[in-house]
Amino acid sequence: MTGVVKDTTFIVIPAFNEERAIGVVVAELKVLWPHLIVVDDGSHDATASVAQQSGATVLRHAVNRGQGAALQTGITHALRRGAQIVVTFDSDGQHRAEDVATLVAPIEEGRADVVLGSRFLGSTENMPALRGLLLHAATAFTRMTSGARVTDAHNGLRAFSRAAASRLEIRLDRMAHASEIVDQVAEHGARCVEVPVHVRYTDYSKRKGQTGLGAFRVLLDYLWGRWLR
Amino acid sequence: MTTFQISAFVFLGLALAATISFRLRRQASFRVAFAWALLWIGAAIAIAWPQITVRVAHFLGIARGADLVFYLAILGMFVGFFAVYVRFRRMESEMTRIVRELALRTPKEPDSE
Repeated sequence: MTGVVKDTTFIVIPAFNEERAIGVVVAELKVLWPHLIVVDDGSHDATASVAQQSGATVLRHAVNRGQGAALQTGITHALRRGAQIVVTFDSDGQHRAEDVATLVAPIEEGRADVVLGSRFLGSTENMPALRGLLLHAATAFTRMTSGARVTDAHNGLRAFSRAAASRLEIRLDRMAHASEIVDQVAEHGARCVEVPVHVRYTDYSKRKGQTGLGAFRVLLDYLWGRWLR
Repeated sequence: MTTFQISAFVFLGLALAATISFRLRRQASFRVAFAWALLWIGAAIAIAWPQITVRVAHFLGIARGADLVFYLAILGMFVGFFAVYVRFRRMESEMTRIVRELALRTPKEPDSE
C-alpha cells in the first residue's frame, strides 16, 4: 500500500448506539488509515465522543435517520475532503481492519471502480444458521433485481473510487440501501469486483443485526424505493 | 324532512363554509378546496334525494344505495391513507436532507490531531 493511497482513502463508519464497540473499531483502523469518518446517527449514548477520542472525525445526525442516510452523509463529506477512494465499514466490530487493504487494492490498480466485500467468498465466524439463510435469500433477490452477479449483497464492507462514489445517491435511509447500492452500481455500469473478507459474529453484533421480521421491512422499503423511480 | 337530514345539512353547511373560508384565506390550494367542496355537496345531494344513490347503485349492479356510499367511503379512505403515506415518505427524505446538511456543517475533528 502506497502512502498516496493512505492519504486519499477515507473510511466511512455509520454508527448508532455503538459506544461499546466503536472505540476498538476506530483504534484498529487508525493504525493503518489516517482518515476515518464516523457518522453518529443520532445515538443516545457516548458513540460520538468515544469515536472522536479514538481518532475519528465525527459527523452527527441530530436525529436517527438510518444506516443508508448515515452512509450517504459520510460519503458526501469524504468527497468534499478530496477522497480518491471511499471505504464503508461497519461500526459493530464485524469487520477486520486488515481487510480494508484487500478492498482498496483493485481500485488502486485500476482494475475496478467498486469493490464489494463478500463473506461467502471469504469466511465467517460464529454466523447463526438463520442469518446465513437470510443473507443468501437477500443475495439471490439482489442478483435477480440488479442483474449483478454478487455473492454477498448485504455486506457493509465496500470500497468506491471517487468517480463511483460521486455517482452514488443513496435514497433509502434505512437498511434497504444495501440492495440500492448494488442496483446503482449495476445501472452506472461501474466495474465491480468482489473480494473475500472475514466477518466475525459476536453476541454483541448478533443482537444488533437483522431478524426475519426486520428483513421483511427492508424488502418493503426496497420495493417502495424501486417503485418511486 | 327527517331529524337526520336536518342535522346532516347543518354539519355539511358548516363544513362547506369552513372549506370556502380556508380557500379565501389561501390556506388550501384551489384543487384541494374544490375536492372537499365537491365531497360536501355530493353528500348533501345523496342525503336530500337518496333515490339518486339507489339509481346509481343499480346501474353499477349494487343492490342498495347505502352499500354504494359505503364502498365509496372505504375506497376514499384508502386513497386518503395512501396520499398521507406518500407525503410522509417525502417528509422523511426531506428531514434526512436537513439532518445531513446540519451534520456536514459541523464536523468534529479527532481529539488527537
